[in-house]
Amino acid sequence: MVRKSRKKQVAMKARKIIANDNPKSPIAEQYRTIRANLQFASVDKELQSLLITSAGPSEGKSMTSANMAAVFAQQGKRVLLVDADLRKPTVHHSFRLNNTKGLSNFLVGRQTLKETTQITAVDNLDVLPSGPIPPNPSELLGSKAMHKLMMEARQSYDLLILDTPPVLAVSDSQVLAREVDGVMLVVRSGQTEFQAAERAKELLEQSKANLLGVVLNDREKKNSNYYYYYGNS
Amino acid sequence: MEETISLKEIFEVLKKRIWMIIAVTGGAAVISAIVTFFVLTPTYQASTQFIVNQSASQQEESPYDINDIRTNVELINTYNVIIKSPAILDQVIESLNLDISSDVLSNKIQVASAEQSQVVTVTVTDESRAMAVELANSTVETFQETIPDLMSVNNVNILSPAEQVENPQPVSPKPMLNIAIALVVGLMVGVGLAFLLEYLDNTVKTEQDIEKTLGLPLMGVISTVSEEDLGPETMNRHTSRASKVRGESVGT
Repeated sequence: MVRKSRKKQVAMKARKIIANDNPKSPIAEQYRTIRANLQFASVDKELQSLLITSAGPSEGKSMTSANMAAVFAQQGKRVLLVDADLRKPTVHHSFRLNNTKGLSNFLVGRQTLKETTQITAVDNLDVLPSGPIPPNPSELLGSKAMHKLMMEARQSYDLLILDTPPVLAVSDSQVLAREVDGVMLVVRSGQTEFQAAERAKELLEQSKANLLGVVLNDREKKNSNYYYYYGNS
Repeated sequence: MEETISLKEIFEVLKKRIWMIIAVTGGAAVISAIVTFFVLTPTYQASTQFIVNQSASQQEESPYDINDIRTNVELINTYNVIIKSPAILDQVIESLNLDISSDVLSNKIQVASAEQSQVVTVTVTDESRAMAVELANSTVETFQETIPDLMSVNNVNILSPAEQVENPQPVSPKPMLNIAIALVVGLMVGVGLAFLLEYLDNTVKTEQDIEKTLGLPLMGVISTVSEEDLGPETMNRHTSRASKVRGESVGT
């Protein structure tokens, strides 16, 4: 019972972009740390597209994507957050946008990138919501149109962040992993099982993804106290 | 998977599940208390002692013959069996008008003698103290009366009959002992359960877990989001944006 209520609470909170709403919070600082680490991890070739996924559902992909997009945007980069989860899209919830047109419209060739992206309250951050849910997400994401979108978006944005479905559930993120420069795996402390995380890693490696690293989400606070109260008045 | 568990980890596990351990321990104690006080019928004990010795007439010549004493001590073994035999117990049941079999009565009676001593203690356990006293006395008296017929010796003397006391304490159940046992057992079960749960829980938890088992670099850690991290209300985002847009349009 406790677990259930906690989950609900977190799910509700995931709808907020902490890095933007409360940039001084330790959480925002932790996202900035990840930003820095990502930049260190990709010295040789510039990280222009980043895919964020996890082994199973509700491990914090969308929250991480949204916040990562926000911290990169705060750095002055022009960021496009793409909701590549065409099965259970959530990015438009986080940014309170409407989802009437988006990625799926672009992929079927009806709309241009300009028409489908929406600006957000965060400077430099645009969002491409999922659009209407199509019956064949995997095929759409593996299509040439998707490749075209990536190419097109690279020209007008410094960084693309893709929020994708879980690796173990569907093949979407494996398909997409080929299109991006780097993949980041989100692991939720106390929820993701070792086997699941290992399997996700294997699957991503099989699809030749450049697995940059792991984000440990929802880590109990008491053990990482040393982050706090530093310059946080 | 090779694993060494350090003392600190053990402590961490216990600390994490301390409430569960306390709950299990407390629960066991409460259940034991309830069972002790409300379910178990209290039983009482009464003891009668008798001494096996030659009667006065037989021991005039040499009152402390070592052989006699040894004989008596060895006789006690026989007597122990005789006391619990139906031959005695049926008479006891008859004299007291009881509605039980000699087997049942036999289970209530314990006969014990200290090593190498001529004193035998007959202890009767019963749900009623008065009945225990009566049974103890009656059994020993019957035995004393019957033994000359059986063994053709008259060497049993009652040393101290069982007596009625006011406010007798039941010998069983012992509430304190039962609760103490439950506490210890509960504690053991709780600790065992804590380790079992920890062992069964194969989820990733710490930064070390990721680097150790996944072999992937850790990009960062996001701690559990609490209310204070969320900052001001969501509405602010929209208002701030609105004002910014307005400012820009005025400026340009």
